[in-house]
Amino acid sequence: MMKVKSKRIILLFVLIFLFVLSFFLSLLEGPVETNFGNFWDFLFNGNGTFKTIFVDLRLSRALLAFLVGASLSLSGAILQGYFQNPMAGPFVVGVSSGAAFGAVLCIYLGLNIRLLGVSLQSLFAFGSGFAIVFLVYLLSQKKGVFKVETLLLTGIAAGALASALTSFLIFFKSESYQEAVFWLLGSFSLADWNQITAVLPYFLLCFTVAQWLAKDMNLLVQGDDIAQSLGCSVNRVRKTFLAVSTLLAASSVSVSGIIGFIGLVVPHWIRILIGPDHRYLFFFSSLTGGVFLVFSDLLARTLLSSTELPIGIITAAVGAPFFIYLLSQRR
Amino acid sequence: MTILEVKNLSAGYESDHVIQDISFSLEKGEFLSILGKNGSGKSTLIKALQGLLRNISGRISVKSKDLFSLSPRQIAQKISYVPQIFSFSFEFSVTETVLMGRYAHQGRLGGSSPDDSKIMDEVMALTKIAHLKNKKIAHLSGGERQRVFIARALAQDTPLLFLDEPSSHLDINYQVEIYQILRQLQEEKGKTILATEHNINLAIPYSQQIMFLKNGGVQALGPPESLITKKNISEVFGAEVEIRENIHSKLPEISLIPGAERKT
Repeated sequence: MMKVKSKRIILLFVLIFLFVLSFFLSLLEGPVETNFGNFWDFLFNGNGTFKTIFVDLRLSRALLAFLVGASLSLSGAILQGYFQNPMAGPFVVGVSSGAAFGAVLCIYLGLNIRLLGVSLQSLFAFGSGFAIVFLVYLLSQKKGVFKVETLLLTGIAAGALASALTSFLIFFKSESYQEAVFWLLGSFSLADWNQITAVLPYFLLCFTVAQWLAKDMNLLVQGDDIAQSLGCSVNRVRKTFLAVSTLLAASSVSVSGIIGFIGLVVPHWIRILIGPDHRYLFFFSSLTGGVFLVFSDLLARTLLSSTELPIGIITAAVGAPFFIYLLSQRR
Repeated sequence: MTILEVKNLSAGYESDHVIQDISFSLEKGEFLSILGKNGSGKSTLIKALQGLLRNISGRISVKSKDLFSLSPRQIAQKISYVPQIFSFSFEFSVTETVLMGRYAHQGRLGGSSPDDSKIMDEVMALTKIAHLKNKKIAHLSGGERQRVFIARALAQDTPLLFLDEPSSHLDINYQVEIYQILRQLQEEKGKTILATEHNINLAIPYSQQIMFLKNGGVQALGPPESLITKKNISEVFGAEVEIRENIHSKLPEISLIPGAERKT
């Protein structure tokens, strides 16, 4: 059997290759026909029209997809550890739907502004996402043990309720199907550099914290008593992880709507490939999730020639069958 | 030298106290077995003694330091714990699992030091699991798994070792094997050991002291020679037994009486 270390190195190289490929394809593909010659023209002759297309439209979109994919997957990896359950994820436990409700509420209250560089929308998303995950946490826990069935059912029910409220708000205020689809199925069609600045700082902060506490997560998944007896400050670490995973999901949702299942499946793939050690799981989940979402967005843009698909359709098409497969594998 | 001193300890999970007013002390290098019926508070006591329960009162001193004033990390450098129930949500390997025992001695970042590797090799040899290194925990037998968790506790390098029913779910050959390892640790490493146990006959030859728990309180405490009596067993377990001498150890041993009425 191959050693874990060499597996990690191979995976890293494969991911770097896919990362470059995904960005390359994203730059060339779009409603305006472009070829490699145009890209060359922009790179070396500074063609202004092509600059707008390549940098402001396509690069920003690919970068945003990458950041959101990385955030959601990292959030999923943390939540799976937090609930000691490989079936958890920001969508499945209801955080994403809760966050979308907060974001939409903020828009309709007319509070869609920035204070000291922090958008109120992300704060609203964070608040309502946190409320949902906390509710699910309270309901699914009994004497420090999480019941899988309760966790999943409560999360899915709470998420459905939040989504219903979101839809209600949208139809009540704007009667726009397009907007409802954006929030409930996700899209990067509105990507711009502003949105990147609304996600990037949170991702960097949360990634650093997660990596800093990665060893603690390895202990935490053994159970609280065992973790503490091995020297982990369980209460403090748990609070931090819950806040971090919610923040990641909320900041993603507030720029791109709900993109389901990616946070569930990506950490799973990584665990199968390189094992459960969170020191590597967090990093590789982020990278894989980012690349996966850039490719998903490419597919969403190109699958139908007439229109763009919401990206949530692509991720659900991959993720939901996988989720069902996991359910069927449980003993 | 007294290494663990417990005074008027009461503790529980929610609002009630499961164990009440427990006092005892443990000398360095001693082996104390805690015996009692299901629900008598054995597991609660072993958790309370490490500060794992929040609903707790009384005093616990480890090496004359107040346990409640120590951080989890500091406690983990003094007491290691082999729990009874393990969850397998994630497939960690044997090496990864044992290495977790080094957490309380490591920094946040960076891998294992040469010191860590040395201790790892030593504890894996002691518990005879070196050949299982790269296996996943979930793929091991009950006896192998128990040895891995003992190895993890040993990697913590603590003077005190607590075990919650180390022989449960194990075949009879593994039960003796585990206790032989514990005796070796006690004799060669000077470990002070505290274990809850279901199997009275298994506990007797390995313990210097035995504590009988009943309804969350100490019913009797002392060396097995004086404590294992028909009367005590009847009072603590509600079971009629005969006491005889073990032909090898010359220590008392309980003998079940088939068909005896159960007392309440």
